[in-house]
Amino acid sequence: MDDHLTGILSNIGVISFVALSAYLLLLTGEISFGQQAFFAIGAYTAGIVTAMWQLPFWLGLGAGAAAGGAAALFVGLPTLRLHGLQFAIATLAFAEAVRILFELFRYQVMRDGEPVGPNGIEGFPNIRYIFENDVSATQFMSIIYGLLGATLFGFFLLERSRLGVAFRMIGQDDLLAAAQGVPVFRVKLIAACLAGAIAGLGGGLYAHLTTYVEPAIFDVMLGVHSLAYGLIGGLGTAFGPLLGVAIDIGLLESTRWFAGYRMIVFGGLVAVLLIVRPRGLLDERLVHRIRRIVSRRPPPAPASATILGEESS
Amino acid sequence: MIAARDVLLSLFVVMVSFGSGQAAGVKAKAEVSCSATPKPLEYDCTIKLSDPRSGAALTGLEVTVGADMPSMPMAHNVKPAKAMHGNEPGTYRARIKLEMHGDWVVKVDLVGPVRDRIVKSMRFEPRP
Repeated sequence: MDDHLTGILSNIGVISFVALSAYLLLLTGEISFGQQAFFAIGAYTAGIVTAMWQLPFWLGLGAGAAAGGAAALFVGLPTLRLHGLQFAIATLAFAEAVRILFELFRYQVMRDGEPVGPNGIEGFPNIRYIFENDVSATQFMSIIYGLLGATLFGFFLLERSRLGVAFRMIGQDDLLAAAQGVPVFRVKLIAACLAGAIAGLGGGLYAHLTTYVEPAIFDVMLGVHSLAYGLIGGLGTAFGPLLGVAIDIGLLESTRWFAGYRMIVFGGLVAVLLIVRPRGLLDERLVHRIRRIVSRRPPPAPASATILGEESS
Repeated sequence: MIAARDVLLSLFVVMVSFGSGQAAGVKAKAEVSCSATPKPLEYDCTIKLSDPRSGAALTGLEVTVGADMPSMPMAHNVKPAKAMHGNEPGTYRARIKLEMHGDWVVKVDLVGPVRDRIVKSMRFEPRP
């Protein structure tokens, strides 16, 4: 496969993690502009584990995901009692605080006579695990998509679980969900931790894919994009955010039809879709219709037709 | 069902073997400099590659040069350009076309006897 294509597909795979992370919170009705912070925490943690401490790659990824989840718990405890705009601003403030902390974060060790590790605003280069272990770009892409597949399978199970139902109930109306006996705060906290861990896992993959990270990467633009992917692709299924990523990076970026105007086109696309399809392309109604077609079940008869049928017999 | 289980098992084995690999990389040292061409947003980059231990020039490599804007990762990136061999051993030249001026990260990928990626943060200004 062409290296450029492999690179684009790998980018789509990695960014899908942060998009899925924002989507998970959207399911509970919360808009987070701060998922890039957990992505950053995962990237730095995984980089430190493999490049500085020389521990195995999988331990680095696990540590990145765990750090992302733990940070989400830390932020979620005080902020998840907030709602709507207040929560969105709180997550944005947290993400900016994390980015500035990484600008101040310096922790380096000497390896082969060279300093390795985060160096404030200059970032953290030389996360060279895939090069040191002779992992090809295609192999690494397979790893990304293997983990993305596993995450999607997790979403598949979640959608069919009581927890998944609770997520959507809270997303529709948290007061009503609470009245039905759903422990809203606890369920939201679980969603936040899972979302943080998914973003952290993606961050770990990103650090190893690009071999360097720096605080500027994790600014608000990444947060806005990750949120927009779910809103473009749709909130009816976990494939929605992936569709959003594929449209943005796969179509707009890779084809370069709009060159430097791509961001304007992307912004316009988000605005139009929010008006035309407020819950994205793959919204709940379309997903339900697709599922019915796939399972070849006839649509339920309208109530009036059933009554008429009963009357005629 | 058995097939799905086999696939998952194979994936697990590949992942585990990948994660426990032994370090075998040879690192390259690079000096990267880029200068503006008369064409707007086009830059000629010169890459000088050497072995960090011996200082010997690294030759016979396939070198590609790309760039990424850190403030918009994966949004504004440059299609990697294949570098040509320069006049001196270990020197390679490539022309990249950016989408805008500002801070970029230049990524130099090496394939061949040495496989590595070198990343340099650079500021690209308009030609004076």
